[in-house]
Amino acid sequence: MGYSLVNILAGLLIVTSTMVVVSKTIPSAIKWYAIQSVVLVGVLLTLGLTTGATELLMWAASAFVTKVILVPFILNRAYKKMGSPADSTLTSSIKPAWTIILTGLEVAVCFAVVTRLSLPTAEVATPALAISFAHFFVGLTCIISQRNILKQIFGYCLMENGSHVTLALLAPTAPEIIEIGIATDAIFAVIIMSAVVVRIWNDTKSLDSHDLTELKG
Amino acid sequence: MDVSMLTVALLACPLVFSLIMAALPKTTSYNVFAGLNTISVAATLVLSVVTAGTMLSSGQNIDALGLWLHLDSLSSIFVLLVGIIGFITGVYSISYIKIDIEEKTMPAERTKQYYALFSLFVFTMLLACLSNNIILTWAAVEATTLSTVFLVGIYKNKQALEASWKYAMVCTAGVAFGLFGTLLIYANAADIMPNAHEAAFLTSIMPYADQFDPMLVRLAFAFIVIGFGTKAGLFPMHTWLPDAHSQAPSPVSALLSGVLLKCAMLVIMRFYGFTIQAVGAEYPQLLLLIVGTLSILVAALSMFRQDDLKRRFAYSSVENVGVIALCLGIGGPLGIAAALLHCVFHGFTKTLAFCVSGNIQHAFGTRSLAKIQGVVEVAPATAALAILALLGLAAFPPFGMFISEFLTFVAGVTAGPMWLVVVVALGLTVAISALTRIALKSVFGHAPQGMGKHEAPALMLIPEIILAVMILWFGIATPLPLVHGVETATGIVLEQSTEELHATPMYRAVFGTETAQSEVE
Repeated sequence: MGYSLVNILAGLLIVTSTMVVVSKTIPSAIKWYAIQSVVLVGVLLTLGLTTGATELLMWAASAFVTKVILVPFILNRAYKKMGSPADSTLTSSIKPAWTIILTGLEVAVCFAVVTRLSLPTAEVATPALAISFAHFFVGLTCIISQRNILKQIFGYCLMENGSHVTLALLAPTAPEIIEIGIATDAIFAVIIMSAVVVRIWNDTKSLDSHDLTELKG
Repeated sequence: MDVSMLTVALLACPLVFSLIMAALPKTTSYNVFAGLNTISVAATLVLSVVTAGTMLSSGQNIDALGLWLHLDSLSSIFVLLVGIIGFITGVYSISYIKIDIEEKTMPAERTKQYYALFSLFVFTMLLACLSNNIILTWAAVEATTLSTVFLVGIYKNKQALEASWKYAMVCTAGVAFGLFGTLLIYANAADIMPNAHEAAFLTSIMPYADQFDPMLVRLAFAFIVIGFGTKAGLFPMHTWLPDAHSQAPSPVSALLSGVLLKCAMLVIMRFYGFTIQAVGAEYPQLLLLIVGTLSILVAALSMFRQDDLKRRFAYSSVENVGVIALCLGIGGPLGIAAALLHCVFHGFTKTLAFCVSGNIQHAFGTRSLAKIQGVVEVAPATAALAILALLGLAAFPPFGMFISEFLTFVAGVTAGPMWLVVVVALGLTVAISALTRIALKSVFGHAPQGMGKHEAPALMLIPEIILAVMILWFGIATPLPLVHGVETATGIVLEQSTEELHATPMYRAVFGTETAQSEVE
């Protein structure tokens, strides 16, 4: 029952990831990322109650603080600091329909790989594990396809969420210090990347990655 | 003081100085920041020599903070690399950055940022080398990116910003793959080890390597090569490297290229050894053989197209990291020993090259090779050092890199396939000609009309002279403790005896190691 709920929530994770990628505006992407993080907290709580790993309940609490509150706050602050630039012209190089198809393909490939692993979790939570793996490729797709450099940061956040779920599924009793280490690094990464984006905006008044092509060869 | 405590002190030293500098107001005098950073890198140098020297001479591994830090022969080599090159580039920075500020290429208010991040960068690299906890190792490698993003973009221009953005995004996303691979190893270890609390410590995991799920280990190693290979600058994840290395201040470029890339290769080497124990040598060797060879070929061809002096050196770094990966791909004791020696020799040689490029950039006010001519007339001492750096990078005898590349070829010819050795040789020949063109067209020739003498100050030349002496010393009489350390480290990577090395006639011819071993013992 517990793992069934985890699999259902994992399904919601991939839906919210897709929404982050296809969102047309930054505030919308921030909102979907925060919703995804709430789902992730739900995954951690369900896993904690299912496996009896109290560490996961702590992770859920820290994930709520870092991912539901802090990361959206940092990204929103950077966006506001730049004067909420209109970004509707900076469309993705992949159309939303193709993004959805690509995400489906990424999940399918990861599913095929996961079924070949001889891990206890792989037997009871195959869809969830496949989706956590797929988040890496969804994140990468977001980074490569987005022209808006602030939006590219969401790609990294999705990859990081994927590793978070993978760790929770495969090593639910991992010491809290490991989870804290990963989360802290991720927060610093988001802070620093946001700061660079703000610097770029202040200097060039552009968030377009196509404007950052002077260095070639 | 206990050696374990010294190891902790080694790690704490640059971090403490970084925090002190971060706490000072921006308006603090330049000399205070430069002085604090010099004390930081000098103390780090002393502590690294003492701890790594004690480890190498006694042969006893050092554990500190429980199992969290581990110093063995393998990490000692890299700790020394961080300590020595960190000190040399730290001293070189004093005059270099001062000139940048005087010429207004760097805003004076960024002095604090430069020096605080410089020491922090040294700390993160030491942590990556010393950490025995695989998750902490990932965090340390990630922290090397985060601490250097603003060093890469410290100059106030659009190109520096572009480079720092690409560096942050590509490396952070790339290294996330490394985290994924690391987590797979950790999760499997927690599953099979009796004490799951030790599942994150590499030394605890190693004895259980043969019980891991082979499919999972293969998957994890591929992710690790992608992740940490991004940081090492291996093709096709190298795209950030030419931008970051060319836009950063030259001492930072030197530290990035000379040390950081090697730290990432150290992490790959650790997992390479583990993967060999888990699934055999064939898979990890094949993977590294492919990325190594492609890195060499792509970088060699790209070098020719570069008009920017530092970009050309940056591609040379991709090529040389490719050589290290190729050595691991060839495998066996000789391949691993060649990889380790190349890490050290290329580290020092490339540091010299980037520092010299800093002298040239200051003298000519450009990095464009089309505009740099007659360095020998403008700055004779710099020109002499540039020639030594270029000959060293081209791996001509009697420089250190000649030995490591020679051993690479011996290992390649011994292990085969022969066609691959020929292809790599062609790639290296192209790279040599790209370096030779710098010597012929830019170092020699006539300086632009009306250009007077513009030699670098002594505080920039002295560190470079030390580097030049070292790369010659490595080539003419490789220090015996280094040879012995490399042999022991090779044994650690492969978890087997390295007697095979002494049975290789070419290796004996280069090092005469029977004598070397007995002298050290």
